[in-house]
Amino acid sequence: MSTPNAHYGFAERWLPRLVLAPSFLLTLVFLYGFIAWNGYLSFTNSRLLPNYEWAGLVQYATLFENERWWVAVRNLGIFAVLFIGGAMAIGITLAILLDQKVRGEGAIRTLYLYPMALSFVVTGTAWKWMLNPGLGLEKLMHDWGFTSFTFDWLVNSEMSIYTVVIAGLWQSSGFVMALFLAGLRGVDDSIIKAAQIDGATLPRIYWKIILPALRPVVFSTLMILSHIAIKSFDLVMALTGGGPGFSSDLPATYMYSMAFTRGQTGLGAASAMMMLATVAAIVVPYLYSELRKDSHG
Amino acid sequence: MGALAIKNVTKSFGDTHILKGINIDIEAGEFLILVGPSGCGKSTLMNIIAGLEQATSGEVHIADRVVNNVAPKDRDIAMVFQSYALYPTMNVRQNIAFGMETRGVPKAEQNEIINRVAKMLQMDHLLDRKPSALSGGQRQRVAMGRALARDPKLFLFDEPLSNLDAKLRVEMRVEIKQLHQRLKTTIVYVTHDQIEAMTLGDKIAVMKDGVIQQFGSPQDIYERPANLFVASFIGSPSMNFIPCHLVQQGEQIGVTLQGNGVPQFIALSDRAELKDRVGQKVILGVRPEQWDVEQSEHALQCAVKITEPTGPDTMVYSEVNGVEMIARVHPRAATAAGTSLSLILDVKKAVVFDPETELRIA
Repeated sequence: MSTPNAHYGFAERWLPRLVLAPSFLLTLVFLYGFIAWNGYLSFTNSRLLPNYEWAGLVQYATLFENERWWVAVRNLGIFAVLFIGGAMAIGITLAILLDQKVRGEGAIRTLYLYPMALSFVVTGTAWKWMLNPGLGLEKLMHDWGFTSFTFDWLVNSEMSIYTVVIAGLWQSSGFVMALFLAGLRGVDDSIIKAAQIDGATLPRIYWKIILPALRPVVFSTLMILSHIAIKSFDLVMALTGGGPGFSSDLPATYMYSMAFTRGQTGLGAASAMMMLATVAAIVVPYLYSELRKDSHG
Repeated sequence: MGALAIKNVTKSFGDTHILKGINIDIEAGEFLILVGPSGCGKSTLMNIIAGLEQATSGEVHIADRVVNNVAPKDRDIAMVFQSYALYPTMNVRQNIAFGMETRGVPKAEQNEIINRVAKMLQMDHLLDRKPSALSGGQRQRVAMGRALARDPKLFLFDEPLSNLDAKLRVEMRVEIKQLHQRLKTTIVYVTHDQIEAMTLGDKIAVMKDGVIQQFGSPQDIYERPANLFVASFIGSPSMNFIPCHLVQQGEQIGVTLQGNGVPQFIALSDRAELKDRVGQKVILGVRPEQWDVEQSEHALQCAVKITEPTGPDTMVYSEVNGVEMIARVHPRAATAAGTSLSLILDVKKAVVFDPETELRIA
């Protein structure tokens, strides 16, 4: 009597595992396996080719004495703060303005969301042309007769990281707007009416009532933006190539040039581990709090 | 002193006319009900009173002041919404305090008001909870508390009980009525539920298609509905509309009704309005409770098709002059389906409508 059931249970039990096995295996090897391999390499003296002889923390010591690494870290700080803060501010403002029942909202929404459809490489290249003093904005203003106008951030080693911020904002603000617009649409209209009758101004209504109610959206957006910021690579490569010099390097481009163009695999691995640690420092507490909330219902 | 006066208010979106000239005038302390089916414009009218929407033309007066160009917050009103509209991230205390903070009421006074309101609505124990931790009835209470804290000239209730279950709705209805009797404030209350309208209102405005069909006291509207729509909308089960001809028998003017027995002449002759309509078609409007079971030679014999016992009364469905007719009779007097019942009409309360204009003529 129990035999057919047990037989049926066997397929029930093993089919899902069988189907999931390939992707599980691929993830295990190519994600966690390579993270572990990279982790090991960061403790070796690997140059152009991997060298498996244990060398302790020597690569980390080199990394922390390397001026170019600190430029990259400082740039990441500037980029992350301005990019995340700016994209949130612009996105929320656009979403609130679009939420005022404007005409042609669908078209405007698509317009703002379009940059997200481009890859960072295309964005970077397009902005490289626009910001190039000899080709883009500066040349246009000169041609119009404003000869004293200068906008040379792209070739100015003090300011080049800010051009990355500009292009990043252009790409991501519309996405933030779409996330917040969806959240705003979920807010009951009569709450706004009630607050109006209570005498609150529109900024106060949004600041005190609606945005606090959108806390989950704020957190998910922060998560998405911060991991985009930390792993930013293609935007910098296409826009400035890390230059002038290495003035607009980010940790990701630093890691790339160490590991793949300068034959400093060990150093690259160490910088990659530092990036992993940064991402983990943000993601793990977030996942922990989210998962814990779920299990509590 | 007039608490609220609405003068010739219209509202249009392009060619769509939502409100077509609304006139309402109520005194301080009155409870006004705006009632009508969905899409009749009652919520739009409410929003115009609150200042959340602008009237296309016409004037709104609150406490003898034209408020057309006054912002909602300066109209001295408070509103309770169907969805309660509590601020989700604030606890009950903060919800009530928000409006007072905005108006710059001193902290000590705020606390005093919150405590007074909480005591009045018996929700002291809820003050530190978030709206998500409250039941529907409790949320409704908090929404009312928030309105009470304002102590306004005019309370606006926008279908406040629609989201509650049937039992709670009856309880809250009584509570709102008690509150009104205690505070003597002026209330405008929007509902689509005719029972709420009848039980709560001092004045009822029955609306349809952006026009007030009738404005008057509940009893007035129930007994002398202005037209067929009002007659059918107010009252449950609905009024019976029996098509008949106005005939003259000797000195008497009346109508002839026929169930499944001999036709009975029913005299309506004390009504002067009917004199020059003899021979015309009319519609006789009879409420279900205006029938009585009685054996007499003047009684109307009706075939019972269905009976619906509700406990205190039994609804008897039958047919008169070819249309369905419902009589509300005492449960012991009701007979089973398939039998015949003798019914006597309370003629004085019956009303007569013109089938063309649908207006009441007598």
